[in-house]
Amino acid sequence: MGHRILVGIDCSANAQRAVDYVGTMLRPHDDAVITLFHVLVGPQPDIYPDAAQREQELDKRHRRAHRQLEAMAARLAEIGVPPDRIAVKIQVCDPGENVSSALLDEQRRGAYHTVVVGRRGMSKREEFLFGSVSSKIIREARECTVWVVQ
Amino acid sequence: MFHADVRDLIRSHTPFSVPDKIRIHTDTTQFMDIKAGDCIAVEGRLFYVKGEEFEGRFGLDGEPKFWVKRVIDLHDGTAKILKLAFFESFFMHLGEERIRCFRSPHKESRILERTAGDARFMQGYTLYDDAGNPVRVIERMAAKTFYDLIHELEMDHETYYEEVFPGIFSNLMKAFYAIKDLHQMGEIHGDIRNDHLLIEHDGGRYRWIDFDYTYEWPGQPYGVDLFGLGNILLFAAGKGFHTLHDLKSSRSPFHAVLSGLREEDFSLFFPNRLMNLKKIFPYVRETLNKVLMHFAAGAEVFYESAHEFIEDLEIAFRSFLWEVPHGS
Repeated sequence: MGHRILVGIDCSANAQRAVDYVGTMLRPHDDAVITLFHVLVGPQPDIYPDAAQREQELDKRHRRAHRQLEAMAARLAEIGVPPDRIAVKIQVCDPGENVSSALLDEQRRGAYHTVVVGRRGMSKREEFLFGSVSSKIIREARECTVWVVQ
Repeated sequence: MFHADVRDLIRSHTPFSVPDKIRIHTDTTQFMDIKAGDCIAVEGRLFYVKGEEFEGRFGLDGEPKFWVKRVIDLHDGTAKILKLAFFESFFMHLGEERIRCFRSPHKESRILERTAGDARFMQGYTLYDDAGNPVRVIERMAAKTFYDLIHELEMDHETYYEEVFPGIFSNLMKAFYAIKDLHQMGEIHGDIRNDHLLIEHDGGRYRWIDFDYTYEWPGQPYGVDLFGLGNILLFAAGKGFHTLHDLKSSRSPFHAVLSGLREEDFSLFFPNRLMNLKKIFPYVRETLNKVLMHFAAGAEVFYESAHEFIEDLEIAFRSFLWEVPHGS
């Protein structure tokens, strides 16, 4: 079994930096399999009380995430990672869950050896309010290596 | 129900004269059209509208909240508040931070249901009008806000801190535990403020009100509530907020400490608001000040849950129990 890498992707520039870094580092390693993983936060019923509207919004977000993942996969291929070593995955998480927990759950489920996230460059106030995905991953990840790409 | 019956109910349950023409609303969608003197009929219950509630939020003070009606329940003559469905989205300022906020009647209905019978929260239930809009029927409380409670105290800080604060702290701990319990249910309050914590005139019980704000973000769902808890703690421990402007004013007794104040002593969200109370009130317990400093600009680690916040605060609280005669 090759070395399994899980890369957390969102729609920010830091995710792109993480992909570039992973591609450059792992391009020469034939046994590395890279999964680009997008955690999609579903629309909240409290904000979208109408089920049809919620479904529509989820679909919109899903398509946006898919486009994002496709673009990142293409970027990896451009850097020189063979397409058969790139996988993409989207997971919808409930509004109550958070992105870092979803990423860590996926790491455990898939027995990934390495988790990669970009650092968002948040202000302290943003970190207070929204929490930092990378800090949480560093603190809570077990039995895997964590790369935080600046 | 015939209008004649409604007239009788208004006559027997309210001190108001019965209008010539009674308007009974069974659909509350157009809540702006529901005026004082009208009635709202939902699921067989009838309410007489006295008027609207008013905004208490700084900057919006005195603005009528057309979706919140002061009513009399014509079943038993009790005063109630009806909160009608109003969906809005706006940016809320948390100090210098700006976040998108949504008003969700469904969230408040759910919390009312989940906290039914829990006296630490306002009580009420939800009825649905003919158009399917949720109408929250809230028990009216004879109470004052936590903001008013602190502001009305006329004494110096040291006397307050030694003699009054321990009792307030004890009540606040119960209120903070209530928020912790809410979080454990997977819910957030959403708008924790000094005027959303009421103190009942009868018995002095502390109760949280207004749960209809929600937010959309993928990260830490409890951050906004923790921000609010930190503000309330600071307000209570300091007997109000102390801004750099106040400290510099000609009547301030704190001129001597000004040169020792650093940026990291002030609030992370309100850079003019002093968080490090020990700098102006040296007798403030270190354990309490330490909790406050997790909300300061100099903090390196933030609370991620009300549980963590309370765990630290318990240490400070216990020190009051041992050392202060009125600390229970």
